[in-house]
Amino acid sequence: MIKVSNLTKRFVGRTAVDAISFNVEPGEIVGFLGPNGAGKTTTIRILTGYMPATSGSAMIAGHDIFKESLKAQQRIGYMPENVPLYDDMRVKEYLRFRALLKGMRGREAKNGIAEAIDLCGLSEMRSKMIGTLSKGYRQRVGLADALIHNPELLILDEPTNGLDPNQIRRVRKLIKQLGLSHTILISTHILSEVEMTCDRVIILDRGKIRAADTPKNLIKHLRTAGHISIEINAAADIAANAIKKIPRVKKVIKESTEQEWTRFTVRAESGTDVREDIVKLANENNWALREIHSHGASLEDVFVELTQSPPTD
Amino acid sequence: MAFTITACVLLGIIILCLLKFLAGGTGLVLLGKELRSFFFSPIAWVVLALVMLLNGLSFTAALADLREGERSVTLTAYTFNSIQFWLAYFFIFPVITMRLFAEEQKLGTIETLLTAPVTTIQLLLAKYLAAVCFYIILWLPSLLNFMLFQMNSTDDHASIGSLAGSYTIILLVGMFNIAIGCLASALTKNQLVAAMTCFTFCLLHFLLGFILQNLSVPDAFRETVTHFSTQIHVRAFIDGLIDTRQIIYYTSFSVLLLSITYHVLEFRKWKV
Repeated sequence: MIKVSNLTKRFVGRTAVDAISFNVEPGEIVGFLGPNGAGKTTTIRILTGYMPATSGSAMIAGHDIFKESLKAQQRIGYMPENVPLYDDMRVKEYLRFRALLKGMRGREAKNGIAEAIDLCGLSEMRSKMIGTLSKGYRQRVGLADALIHNPELLILDEPTNGLDPNQIRRVRKLIKQLGLSHTILISTHILSEVEMTCDRVIILDRGKIRAADTPKNLIKHLRTAGHISIEINAAADIAANAIKKIPRVKKVIKESTEQEWTRFTVRAESGTDVREDIVKLANENNWALREIHSHGASLEDVFVELTQSPPTD
Repeated sequence: MAFTITACVLLGIIILCLLKFLAGGTGLVLLGKELRSFFFSPIAWVVLALVMLLNGLSFTAALADLREGERSVTLTAYTFNSIQFWLAYFFIFPVITMRLFAEEQKLGTIETLLTAPVTTIQLLLAKYLAAVCFYIILWLPSLLNFMLFQMNSTDDHASIGSLAGSYTIILLVGMFNIAIGCLASALTKNQLVAAMTCFTFCLLHFLLGFILQNLSVPDAFRETVTHFSTQIHVRAFIDGLIDTRQIIYYTSFSVLLLSITYHVLEFRKWKV
């Protein structure tokens, strides 16, 4: 559906997107992840034909976005960051304008509008002025606009930005539902969102792709995956040294002491479980152990690891 | 000969642009939306009311003066050469053009517009033509004044030729100044800056000729510049002299200004 090869965008004095290549297959929900200023919005603006790339190419459903921009744009439903809307229009009126703009006429437009209103839960708001809507409803109007012409591809730039938890949950559910019949590219920096909705994640940092895989695989391949917290009744220094000697343990951090109990965070190599070794060690030394708990790695760990390392170039 | 060729080329460009604008009906959808945003905002009604008031005043003043006795000027000349007319003339253009592109850029809606299957030329012409349509509507009530007068008068003070000339030049300078406003609005996100820029350039164009009067420049130069002055054109047309040179001048400059605006809007597509 999307084919990007060697896409570069240079602004005066800085490179926003640096020779990135990726594909998005039909039917996928792909998360576009990265810290602020990583080049997500720039990439999306290139993909939607709003600005050209400095070099490289981008194909949408087989159409080059620069040479056949109108044909490509017809296939995209795009919701920009912050959802710009006309405040002096009514919801229905705005959606009608957008439907006509996207080449829908007569009955087709009418049905498209009705479906989009229904799908985004805007029935009660259809006659309200956009200027009077809450942020959550504005977001939904933006989404309704993006999917009104039933495009093959939806590109959503930070769709849950600035929403409250209930609204986020609703938008997420909607995206999942839309994912059944559309290809979706979501840009976001909210990790739980990606973990819950996306089939595949592309992590972008300083204009370069750092990783592109399923959320599960990314976590599996993480170097410092997860950690174990333990609370043990032993002399802190001796216990720490003993635990450190267990093979595959990378780091032991003393968190706090409460009378004779000490709390540690233990980090081990990715894909290994050292809990058994710790219990064995405690038994051998006759240390009382009142808590041992493994925290699995999250996408957040992957994100932090990939985007906090110093730039390689 | 050269004149005919220029006219033909100009006509060709205009027809070509209009065809592009009408392709697929998208241009008309945009035009409808623009007209709607004129008449659903208070600006249109305030401007319409003020222009009607000023026109009414200048018309009444002209009638009052003509009642005093024989005068060497016609009713139309009186009406369209009054202070009220020029006052309206200067505030109309900044007010109706300032929001055209500046507002879209400020709201960010320019992004949703240009990522829909819309070409820049369709967007530009929709906005320009909407402003021109609104401008035409602004002047229609004043035409009513003359028609009422004509119905109740045996005199020929408002002759057809003079009226035709007046409204032709009003349309021509309108198209030209709205094109200036479009360009000013496309250059900034700030509506006030757009309005001020538009006002300044409209004024400068009006004052061409005056500015040089007290400066020591060669006579030939002064004379050449004076040819471009709006005020002189307006006077000639009001007398019923429909001069094709001026028609070509205003139309070609409108096209030039709009093409500059087009390139300003396309600037984001430049590979810098």
